[in-house]
Amino acid sequence: MRILVTGAGGFLGSVLVRKLLERGQRDIRCLVRSPNRLDQLNSTVALRPDARVEIMTGNLSRSEDAARAVADVDTIFHLASAMGGGAPDMFLNTVVGSRNLLDAVGDRPLRIVLVSSFGVYGVAGLRRGAVVDEHTPLEAHPERRDIYSHTKLRQELLFLEYQNKLGFELVIMRPGVIYGPGMAGHFSARVGLPLFGVFLHLGGGNKLPLTYVENCADAIITAGLASDAAGHVYNVHDDDLPTSRQYLKRYKREVKKIRSVRVPYAALKLVSRLVERYHRYSKGQLPAIFTPYKTASLWAGNRFDNRVLKATGWTQQISTDEGLSRTFTYFRESAKK
Amino acid sequence: MSLKVAVVGCGKIADGHVEEIGKIEGARVVAVCDLEPIMAEQLAVRYGIPAYYSDLARLLEREKPDVVHITTPPQSHVRLGMLAVDAGCHLYMEKPLAPTAADARNLIDYVQSHGRKMTINYWVNFDPVGLALSKLLKEGVLGEPVHVESALGYNLSGAFGDALLRDVKHWVHGLPGKLFQNVLDHILNKVALVLPDETTKTMVAGYRLRPDSNIAARDSLLDELRVLMQGERVSAYCTLSSHTRPVTHSLRVYGTLNTVHVDYNHRTIQMEAAQDLPSAIGRLVPPFQQGWRLLRNGRRNVGQFLHNEYHYFAGMNTLITSFYRSIREDAPLPIPYADILRVSGWMDEIFRQIPQSGDSVLSGRAQ
Repeated sequence: MRILVTGAGGFLGSVLVRKLLERGQRDIRCLVRSPNRLDQLNSTVALRPDARVEIMTGNLSRSEDAARAVADVDTIFHLASAMGGGAPDMFLNTVVGSRNLLDAVGDRPLRIVLVSSFGVYGVAGLRRGAVVDEHTPLEAHPERRDIYSHTKLRQELLFLEYQNKLGFELVIMRPGVIYGPGMAGHFSARVGLPLFGVFLHLGGGNKLPLTYVENCADAIITAGLASDAAGHVYNVHDDDLPTSRQYLKRYKREVKKIRSVRVPYAALKLVSRLVERYHRYSKGQLPAIFTPYKTASLWAGNRFDNRVLKATGWTQQISTDEGLSRTFTYFRESAKK
Repeated sequence: MSLKVAVVGCGKIADGHVEEIGKIEGARVVAVCDLEPIMAEQLAVRYGIPAYYSDLARLLEREKPDVVHITTPPQSHVRLGMLAVDAGCHLYMEKPLAPTAADARNLIDYVQSHGRKMTINYWVNFDPVGLALSKLLKEGVLGEPVHVESALGYNLSGAFGDALLRDVKHWVHGLPGKLFQNVLDHILNKVALVLPDETTKTMVAGYRLRPDSNIAARDSLLDELRVLMQGERVSAYCTLSSHTRPVTHSLRVYGTLNTVHVDYNHRTIQMEAAQDLPSAIGRLVPPFQQGWRLLRNGRRNVGQFLHNEYHYFAGMNTLITSFYRSIREDAPLPIPYADILRVSGWMDEIFRQIPQSGDSVLSGRAQ
């Protein structure tokens, strides 16, 4: 089986390639956007001289690169996605790139494992504490959410549309918050946001849908390659989820002291209403970083359920305690460099 | 009359156009267009615009807009502009107007010969401090301009810089002046306020301070530019720098009576203090005068903020508003075509002196 991994140079992608090799896959094409910063991927490949691993540089926003990438592959793990930048950039790199990939695939009978996101769920209307699982409705108002969620939802709808039209096997993985050594920031927005030198702790006692990067890669491979997975959706998060408060407390203890202010949910809702009202009144003089809709989506607090994932045989290999320990050690060591 | 507006090209700057048009009474965006339908769709969905297209001809036929904002890469400006003019539209163009001065002149001639109007997004000159500078010049407060220094920093680590460095097929690499051509308008359009000569003696130095990447197409893109221009009575010195910090955006105009310094990032405009008092007292007082003037700038900015007049694209809003007024009331254009053509001509000469095709360090010569 020849596998294509898009976004193979990224935080999750490089771990996924290693895990594929550990599980005996020996023919992998790694699509990366930039030939720089491939240390981790290169060292992984060097450990498996018996494997055929091709590192291909390309940008899926160009159709010729997409065509090169999908040539002669049987299975695609599609991880490539914009994690930041302006809205047009993110749509270009996530959605247009995906469309080019799908056009290049055409009607070939292969399997695509799409790595989507929890952000596609429409949770603003759920009551606090409601369970988010694979049956939770998709976001109906993506334009009211953050751009990342909007692009991931549009990407997922695009895959569903093409799958319906072309009939390839589609497996959708929706990870929660992927964390681990090498992650870009120290905090998911679900924990809080830094503002003027103070960390606003917004998550309080909410559970964080964390998935340690190695566990996440295991889950994507286990479910992605399962023979009966086609047409299914899997939420990906670990079992022993910490609360936002526990994450922050441990961060302060193990990484560094930061000044934080706890903002209770009721106060945050009030502030969100004021911020949105001011944003409208001033015609956008300050950005609407908080709105009631975004607040309800991110900080109301939900519970999570990964039973569907577990039914594939996936089990959490790295405990959250160990995962956090490794991650915080990485943060600490990185700060010294 | 309410103007129907279309925006063609749904990349980064299109967001700014749509937002500013949305604040203007008597104008509404009726449709957006991009060759890539997903890009057109995302802009329409995010801003609640009723229609989106991937074919401009179709948009023009169905929506019949009064004004088309063209925010595509400059290589397509002339073709799209003429298409829109043929459909009876006025044009609001992103900078740079066209790859060459000849193309720019062709487009302007076409617009004029069809009885339409056009302007270009030189929005910084319409920012509150840009307008204050124009007022000083008009009232003769500076006396006769003698020299002008225009400086602009460019952060190549930002989203746009990163994108074009990473992607050697980015449209910026296809422009004769590459990165410089994409931003030089914002340096030269301020020089055009005080330097009337179409042709000047011009000396150019362009070079790259980034380390080698060993990718020829990427390394041929220069990132530091110095231009010395000498007109009949006024000279100019222009700096475009990708490596100096903080990233600057400023102008200093030296006149026979006064000198003024404009900081576009912080929105301050300040006359240089003269030494009017004798001896040591004369050297002690000016810093306090300067401090006081800065404080007044800050107070004015706070006032604007409190009155919701302190948006990032305040200048664009003013420019679009004046352009639309010019259309509705057949009033003079906010930017004379002569200024646009002068800037285009200067750019041609600058890029002629530093062809960016391979060598990493190049310098120009006097014309």
